[in-house]
Amino acid sequence: MSDPTGVPLSRRAFVVAGAAALVGLTRKGAPAIAGGFVEDDGPVGHRIRDGIAPGAVRERRRVPLVIVGGGIAGLSAAWWCERHGFRDYVVLELAAEAGGNARSGANEVSAYPWGAHYVPVPGPRASLARELFTELGLLVNGAWDERTLCHSPQERLFWRGEWHEGIESFVGDSAEDRAQWSRFQERLAALRASGEFTIPVSRGRPARSALDTLTLAQWLDRERFTSRALRWYADYAVRDDYGTSARDASAWAGLHYFVAREPDEKGPLTWPEGNGWIVRRLLERVGPRVRTASAVRAVTPVRGGRGVVVRTEDAEFTADACVWTAPLWLAPHVVDGFGPAPVMTTAPWLVANLTLREWPTDHGSAPAWDNTIVDSPGLGYVNATHQRLDHGGGRTVWTYYHALVRAEPLAARRALRALSWPDACALVLDDLERAHPGLRRVVERIDVRRYAHAMARPEPGFLSQPWRRALLASRGPVWYGHADVGGLSLFEEAQDHGVRAARAALEHLGRGAARRQRPADLNE
Amino acid sequence: MAAALFATVCLIAACGLVYELVAGALASYLLGDSVTQFSLVIGIYLASMGVGSWLSRFVVRGLAARFVAIELLVAIVGGWSASLLFLAFAYTEAFRVALYAIVTIVGILVGLEVPLLMRLLRERFAFKDVVANVLTFDYLGALIASILFPLVLVPHLGLVRAALGFGIVNAVVALWSTWLFRGVLGAPRALRTAGVAVLAVLVAGFAAGDRLMAAAERGLYADDVIFARSTPYQRIVLTVWKDDLRLYLNNHLQFSSRDEYRYHEALVHPGLAANPAARRVLVLGGGDGLALREILRYPGVSHATLVDLDGEMTRLFTQHRDLAALNGGSFRDPRVTVHNADAFTWLDAHDDTFDFIVVDFPDPSNYAVGKLYTTAFYRLLKRHLARDGRIVVQSTSPLFARASFWCIERTLREADLATAPYHLYVPSFGEWGFVLAGAAPYVPPDSLPAGLRFLTRAQLLPMFDFPLDMRPLPVEPNRLNDQVLVRYYEKEFEQINR
Repeated sequence: MSDPTGVPLSRRAFVVAGAAALVGLTRKGAPAIAGGFVEDDGPVGHRIRDGIAPGAVRERRRVPLVIVGGGIAGLSAAWWCERHGFRDYVVLELAAEAGGNARSGANEVSAYPWGAHYVPVPGPRASLARELFTELGLLVNGAWDERTLCHSPQERLFWRGEWHEGIESFVGDSAEDRAQWSRFQERLAALRASGEFTIPVSRGRPARSALDTLTLAQWLDRERFTSRALRWYADYAVRDDYGTSARDASAWAGLHYFVAREPDEKGPLTWPEGNGWIVRRLLERVGPRVRTASAVRAVTPVRGGRGVVVRTEDAEFTADACVWTAPLWLAPHVVDGFGPAPVMTTAPWLVANLTLREWPTDHGSAPAWDNTIVDSPGLGYVNATHQRLDHGGGRTVWTYYHALVRAEPLAARRALRALSWPDACALVLDDLERAHPGLRRVVERIDVRRYAHAMARPEPGFLSQPWRRALLASRGPVWYGHADVGGLSLFEEAQDHGVRAARAALEHLGRGAARRQRPADLNE
Repeated sequence: MAAALFATVCLIAACGLVYELVAGALASYLLGDSVTQFSLVIGIYLASMGVGSWLSRFVVRGLAARFVAIELLVAIVGGWSASLLFLAFAYTEAFRVALYAIVTIVGILVGLEVPLLMRLLRERFAFKDVVANVLTFDYLGALIASILFPLVLVPHLGLVRAALGFGIVNAVVALWSTWLFRGVLGAPRALRTAGVAVLAVLVAGFAAGDRLMAAAERGLYADDVIFARSTPYQRIVLTVWKDDLRLYLNNHLQFSSRDEYRYHEALVHPGLAANPAARRVLVLGGGDGLALREILRYPGVSHATLVDLDGEMTRLFTQHRDLAALNGGSFRDPRVTVHNADAFTWLDAHDDTFDFIVVDFPDPSNYAVGKLYTTAFYRLLKRHLARDGRIVVQSTSPLFARASFWCIERTLREADLATAPYHLYVPSFGEWGFVLAGAAPYVPPDSLPAGLRFLTRAQLLPMFDFPLDMRPLPVEPNRLNDQVLVRYYEKEFEQINR
């Protein structure tokens, strides 16, 4: 973790600042803001990428199943094992905390997310998600827990100097905009009826789709959707879900965002700490078998592919099966014989948690859970205390999201890495002060997390890439279960792929064990 | 001599600017939008000064006498300007007319001063020195006034006395000018007499400034404000007019002591009298203790718990003599326990059950209050209901906010409660409604407690009958994730206020 106060001040900056202070020209009344970078993944990741040799082995263990990666996919794989009475596994997580993109933090004001912060109400086809939420007590006799559903008002948009509740107010600005918006809805209804778009994708997945051969922007052009408002909204949707602009995202992925979900209740499901709540509940079940700060350095198939050796910085696990639920771009650096790197790019993101002394200046509709500024380079913020049931008011925490889509990923990643903490604060505050003038004066602290590789970018052609099918068809001893395998970084996708890989691994172990004893029912 | 003359310039300039600032500040206080008010006042004032300067050409003879007369006029009009404006705001509809008239008159008079003074001095000094010195001291006076006004005058004197104080300065300048220009003045005695009279009136006004201000403020409110305080949650204002004591929270009338018994008898007795076995009662909201007063009429009630967010409210209604008299000293009753907490979180944190629960929250005018009208809240309430227990919910007006009223009723049913809606007329509110809810259907009581002022058993049954214009509407239940009630209420309120 880097020290935020250790940002060196150049001599020139010091002299300028000192002179400014002498004549009273420092920023008016803005109290000092505390905070810093909250990061722990990067250095370990780069040791892996750069092939720096791991330390000496201090521990050797035999375990039937190793799960590599403790994000939603890995924890879901472990959850599946537990549900089927299988506990002979270990989850190895690189970071100090499990959860991946669903990790969360907390301070004296509130818990808050560090990434994924909601799950759309799972429709009837998302049976695994429904199963999990039933187990967690959120779905009882077909009714969703009202307190967990996002409270009113869910979202608002800032445009023309004011907040407006909901999204339709913006889209319906002019007659032509409204006409295009309703035509857009008709197109989406038709696509929905095609059954091609489902959650999870595996439930209705087409081998290939014509809509995956062009970008979302090209599709909007082709369909003559020229409304600035509608195009902003479409671009916002893919930046928000995939960290990818409409110029780069596959039209199929973009349309999936609008079409695939079939909720039977107004949602989404959300918690102060975002999907960190799900992580916590999963850890209550699988936690004892999760090892954090255990970066996997090598996965080596042995015994003619019937076993595998998993090497961390200081331990070696000999296993019969391995479920890979870490980001896929890491796999070529770690898995022996993985072959060429998957053809994919990843999206860099910046997430900041702002602790506020009080609610800042605000014009227009009432504060919502999700607050988006139209034409902003960022994605707006979610309010961590929105789900509180008391009268509200007072201190709060905002989680600000920013997918860096303007430059191509590598350049954006370098710029992100070069960013100092004061730069990051300025970026966040300058963006949010469009809607909240004087925000700086009520901010107590800003904690920032930079994700160099937050998620896979679903670019045109992603659906039919041969390497994805090859990974899905794996016959062991490594099964791949990260959301990257499908290409859409969504909770339901991570869960679906994690469970699929766990199921395949358990079947493999079951076949081996069948000769000795019949394990609990492994097939469902 | 020269110093005295230029000190005069300095003083009259300061006086002129003070009147302008008083008018601008007063308009900002009373009308709001300070940018507009100050811009208009400054603009009209400067233009009027231009008019005054232009008019000065028509003053040909008796320059010095005219100058003194103008000084006395400025002293009178400027000195009394703030008092006049306050009274105009309090007692007439024509505040803006008075404001711009006074600004114009003072502007014209002040505009006359400097040209006349320069012409008076032209004979004694070189013209270039006159222009240079008069303008220098004019601007210097303006600077002094603009510094004194916010730092000394407004905080220490207030607007009324600041204006009167500078009126006195103007009158003194007039008197002093009769000495300065004694050589060119025809009849100084008449002017001096007038000057002394003006001075006396202004000094008397200055001494009585506080009482003047109070008289003006009394007119600002319909009734006398006897208490006003902003708490972290709301603005509490109490007014009295004759025997009518009124409570306002955030400018919304909560009760009038003339008819609150109608509201509170109707809120409590139809439900509580129907359960003779009731021992434990919970009140949510109701920090005025008036619902408690009705509850404590039942000797069978052994515990009454009140949960109200605002400790300032319950403290006020415990300690204030008139208010404690109104609620019959209910907060001092040994059966009563008060918790200053948020109702939702308090219910979540406790598991006590109650035979009767009174829900008396403000109307659902925003999402924060709207949470207390949701299926989630009513399901939580149900968990705190003893067997045979019942809830009564303040449900706004079934006439003015018909969809809102029936939405609350629908929401209670959605939480698996049997409902019994009813209504009555409260003069200060209009037609008002409540909903009773419980596990079993409601059966009206056989008897009511003694000593009521409104409710009778015969009066009860018609309350549960709704005339055609208050009948149910098709509405959705109000949920945390879909607060339709706030939207119904907002829409219905817009229509009333149109």
